[in-house]
Amino acid sequence: MEEHGTTVLFDIFGLKVSSFVTTMWAVMAVILIISFFATRNLKKVPTGAQNVMEFLIQTLIGFFAGVMGEKNAKQYLPILATFFIFILLSNYSGLLPMAGHLPGLAAPTSTLSVTAGFALVVFFCTHFFGIKEKGLGYFKHFFQPVAFLFPLMIIEEFVRPLSLSLRLYGNIFGEEMVTAQLFSMAPFGVPIIMQLLGILMGLIQAFVFTLLTAVYIGGATADHH
Amino acid sequence: MHIDFHDLIWAIINFIVLLAILYKFLYGPIMRTMESRENEIKRNITQAEEMRVEAEASRAQLQEALNDARKEAQEIVNNAVKVGEETKNQIISEAKDSAAKLMQKAQEEIQREKEQALAEIRNEVANLAVLAAGKIIGKTITADDHKKLVDQYIQGVGGIQ
Repeated sequence: MEEHGTTVLFDIFGLKVSSFVTTMWAVMAVILIISFFATRNLKKVPTGAQNVMEFLIQTLIGFFAGVMGEKNAKQYLPILATFFIFILLSNYSGLLPMAGHLPGLAAPTSTLSVTAGFALVVFFCTHFFGIKEKGLGYFKHFFQPVAFLFPLMIIEEFVRPLSLSLRLYGNIFGEEMVTAQLFSMAPFGVPIIMQLLGILMGLIQAFVFTLLTAVYIGGATADHH
Repeated sequence: MHIDFHDLIWAIINFIVLLAILYKFLYGPIMRTMESRENEIKRNITQAEEMRVEAEASRAQLQEALNDARKEAQEIVNNAVKVGEETKNQIISEAKDSAAKLMQKAQEEIQREKEQALAEIRNEVANLAVLAAGKIIGKTITADDHKKLVDQYIQGVGGIQ
């Protein structure tokens, strides 16, 4: 099967812009517009959009606090919440009609290139925060609990971004392929069920990616015994 | 399944740009607002608790003052009752005294009146008896004789008594 949306539309400073990139920009624009309306007039007693945004942020803080503690959850909320919202809306962009077939519209998370980019951000952030929190002592945890497991620990560190990116890409790409196949077989009815499943899947995958990121950052910044 | 490095770089750039913008315009302001609200609520709760404790203290103080005042009032009433009782007893005993004195005086008066009356009656009787005797004798008795006779008679009556 061939990935859709790989057509290069134009390039900026030598970087080729594909449909995935333009869709990411659209998703970013939507997020920015929503946050603009949510924070346009912040009040002590919240109303309307501010309420919704505060609820979302509180929910995310509560969710991450269960993984990495309240203090860490608040400290790393920006990166985690950005991943969550960005991935969630990217997943959902694949549910739009003609996504993947229309030039300029293709779910960014349905290509390994984009999910690998995200996973790399997670990889570097995890180690950066670890070193920032604990200095050079951070590297000690690669030799714990026993030193001879060091090669395994290193492999694990590199498997993490691989599994993060493959899981997200595989799920979203697979879901889109199934929807497309169902659509070609029975255009009415059946794809709707897959679309509804897609709403759930998109949410779950965004949650899983963000949850694992929280676990990695939490593990890197936590005190090892 | 291949990796397009242009897409990969774009993904990283886009993520960092989005994170930076959201950090400045969404998380920062919202977290600050929520934090300041949280602090305000905490402060309000602390203040309310302080006020409650204060109110409790002043209530206890008032209660104490009220109790003191009640005790004092009770004392005053007790004193007044005691003083009243004393005054009553005094007045009664004084009244009894003066009644007894009055009674004695009256009795003395009566006694004196009685004696005086008796003496007058004796005189009168003696006079009458002398007059009657003079009539019977038919001779006018001189003043000296008269006096002598009366005195004798009185002494006689007194002897009888």
